[in-house]
Amino acid sequence: MGPRKRPSRGPGRSPGKIMDQPDAAAARLTDLLRERLGALLLVAERPQPDTLRCEVAPAGVRAAAGALAWDAGARFLITVGLDVRALGRGFAIAHLFSLDAAHLFVSLEIPVDAADARIDAITPLIPAADWAEREFRDAIGVEPDGHPDPRRLMLPDDWPDGIYPLRRDFRYNARPPAAGGRPVLADAPPGASVLPMGPFFPTLEEPSYWRLFVEGERIVGCDYRGFYNHRAIEKLGETVLGYDKLPFVAERICGICGFIHSTCACQAIEKAAGIDVPARARYIRTIMLELERVHSHLLWLGIAAHIIGFETLLMQSWRIREPIMWLSEAISGNRKTYGMNCVGGLRRDISPETAGKIRETLDPVEREMRAVRKAVVGDTTLLARTKGVGVLTKEWAERIAVVGPPARASGVAIDARLDHPYAAYPEIPPRLCVQQDGDVWARVVVRLDELEDSIRLIRGALDGMPDGPIRAEITEPIPAGRLGISVVEAPRGEAVHFVLTGDDNRAYRWRVRAPTYPNLQAVPSMIAGETIADVPITVGSLDPCFSCTERLEAVDVRSAAMRVYSRDELLALSRRRGSQGGER
Amino acid sequence: MLLSKLREALICFGAGRVTLPYPAAPREPAPGFRGKIQVDADLCFGCGGCAHVCPAGVIQVEDAAQLTRVLEFHWSRCTYCGRCEEVCPEGAIRLTSQFETATDRPQDMVIRLEVFMGPCQRCGRCFPPPTPLERMTAAGFRHGGDGGRA
Repeated sequence: MGPRKRPSRGPGRSPGKIMDQPDAAAARLTDLLRERLGALLLVAERPQPDTLRCEVAPAGVRAAAGALAWDAGARFLITVGLDVRALGRGFAIAHLFSLDAAHLFVSLEIPVDAADARIDAITPLIPAADWAEREFRDAIGVEPDGHPDPRRLMLPDDWPDGIYPLRRDFRYNARPPAAGGRPVLADAPPGASVLPMGPFFPTLEEPSYWRLFVEGERIVGCDYRGFYNHRAIEKLGETVLGYDKLPFVAERICGICGFIHSTCACQAIEKAAGIDVPARARYIRTIMLELERVHSHLLWLGIAAHIIGFETLLMQSWRIREPIMWLSEAISGNRKTYGMNCVGGLRRDISPETAGKIRETLDPVEREMRAVRKAVVGDTTLLARTKGVGVLTKEWAERIAVVGPPARASGVAIDARLDHPYAAYPEIPPRLCVQQDGDVWARVVVRLDELEDSIRLIRGALDGMPDGPIRAEITEPIPAGRLGISVVEAPRGEAVHFVLTGDDNRAYRWRVRAPTYPNLQAVPSMIAGETIADVPITVGSLDPCFSCTERLEAVDVRSAAMRVYSRDELLALSRRRGSQGGER
Repeated sequence: MLLSKLREALICFGAGRVTLPYPAAPREPAPGFRGKIQVDADLCFGCGGCAHVCPAGVIQVEDAAQLTRVLEFHWSRCTYCGRCEEVCPEGAIRLTSQFETATDRPQDMVIRLEVFMGPCQRCGRCFPPPTPLERMTAAGFRHGGDGGRA
C-alpha cells in the first residue's frame, strides 16, 4: 500500500463525530456542551477563528472532557497548567483538544481554587492525558483527583515537596535544597523479573530508564522513568525571554526538528497577536520544514538500521543525507538550528541561486533514496526484524492519541499539515501516507513514502514561491492576554505550542508538547508480549527524542543508591582531564 | 534476498569514497556561514544593543568606572544566531566563517572590550563623544520593552 488520498474516518467512530467546518463545528460543540453541562459551562468564545475556548466549572470537567472525546471525536493534545493568581484568579487547567476533521482547536479551561488546588482527573476517561495530568501536578501543584498513577513525572525524586517550579512566584534560577527522596517504582507483576534498560542505553542516545518486567524472554509489562534532561525552557520563556528571543531558544528544544519548534512558537505568537506573515515567508518556511523532514527521516532510517545491526543501511542513508546538511548550511548559515525564524516572518531569504542549488541537491537525493528503498524492501533480514514487531493497534494508537508516523502506520489518518494547515500547506497539500499494519515495518514504509512526498513538496514550494517581503512589519506591541495555539507536523509527529501573551514583551505562559510525549506513552502497549531483543527497535521506531519531551526543570537526579562522584567532583575531574589534553 | 544484498553491495561500491580528507585538507564553509563572532573595538561605542537582543545572554555590559564601559562576550555559550550583528548600529560585530573553535583554555572564549565613554554635557550619563542616538535610530535599532537583562 502506498500513500493514498485522505480516507473517510470510516465506521467505528461515534456517529455524532463533528466533521463540519470550524464555524459550524464550534457552534455544534457549544450546543453539545451546553446540553451536557447546563450552567456548568461558564464561557464559550472564539479567540481565534480556529480555536474554541470553553470555560467549565470544576464540577463539569469529566462530563465536558467525555463529551468532547467520546461524542464529538476530539483528539486529546495536551494539558496546560496556568498560574493566573497574578491576574486575580487562582490556578487554571486547560485541556487542549483537536477536532481534526473540523480544523478546530478546543481549549477546555477549568478554574481551580488557589486555596484548594484540586481537580477531577480525566485520565480514567482519556488515557492519553496520563502524563499531562502528572505534569501539572508536579509543575503547578494542582492535584488530579482520581488519577490512576499519581507519581512524579518530571520533577526529580529528590525535589522537595510543596515547591512547584512553574508557579509564578518561583524564580527561574532558584535551586531548592535536595530533599533526598527515592524513586517511586512500580511493582513487577508476581512471578516476573525486572530487567533494567537505561538510564543510558547504548542504542538510544539519550537517557531514558525502562524497567522491563519479563518472564523469561517475554515482556509482560514495563515502567518508565524519564525526564532526566529538563532544561527549564518553558520557565525561561515566561520569565527571561522576550518574543524576539523566544524563537531562537524554541529552536533549541530539539537538535533535529529545531525549525519546527521555532516555526510552531512563532506561529502561536503570530496567531495570538494577529500578525499576517507574508506569503513568501510562508513558502520558505514550508521549504525548510520539508528539508528538515527529509534529513530527519534519512537520519532515523540509519539509526533504526543501526539498532538492528544493519550498518550498511546506516552508512548509505547518512551518506545520502549529508548533501541536505550542506544545503541547509548554504541556505541558512548553519547545518542545523538555522536561526531563520522570527515573529512575523524570516530573517533570511532564498535567492534564485540558492533555489537552483536546492533543486540540484534534491535530484540525486531522490534518485539514491529510491535505489536504497528498492534494495532494502526485499531484504529478508530487515523484514525479519521489523515485520510484525512492536505492533501498535489502531485502537491503542487512538486511545493514547499517538501522533505522526507511528499513528499513520497504525491506520490513524491524522497529519497536522492537513488537519490544521499552516505555512504554505493550504496551497501545496501533502499526501497522507497511511499504513494499516502498525508494526515497525509499517513505520519504515510510512517514513519512506513521506520522504518522497517531502521532495515533491519542496519542488512545489520553489515553483509557487511568490516575490515580496519575508517579514511583516510589527509596529504595535503585542497585547497581553491573547491566546494562540499552533501545531506543526514534525518528522516525529505533531508538535503543539500554546502561548498566552503577557506584559513586558513576553509570554505569560508558553507550553510546548513535543511529538515524542504522547508516542512514548504507547510503548507499554507496543512491547507487551515481545521479546527483550525487540525492545530497542520498537522504542527506536518511534524516532524518540527524549530531551525534546523533557523541557521543564534542569536539576540533576542523584541516585539514591551508592554514590561514587558528586557533581562537583565529576566536573572538577572532567575539567582537569580536559586541561591535560584528554589524557586517559 | 540475494538480489537485495547484491543491490545493497552495488550501492556501496557505487558511492565510492565519501569521507572528506578533513582536517588534512581544510573545508571552507558556505558563504553566509554563521561562525565565531568578531568584535571591532574601534567601531564599538558601547551602546549595549547587542546585549539587549542576545537570546543566550552571553554579552555582559558593566560600567566599570566613570569613563569606562566593559563589554564581555562569553561566546562559549554563543548560539550563532547573529542577532548582535543584525542590530549593531556601527557594524562592529561580525560573524566570521571560523568554526574551528576548540580550545583547552576557557579564557580563549571570552572577548573583552573596554570602551571609553565621555560624559554627555547635558545629562552627565555615559555617552561616547559623538552623539550616537541618530545613528542608532537610522540603523533600525528599536527599543524593546523588556530591558534585556535577565
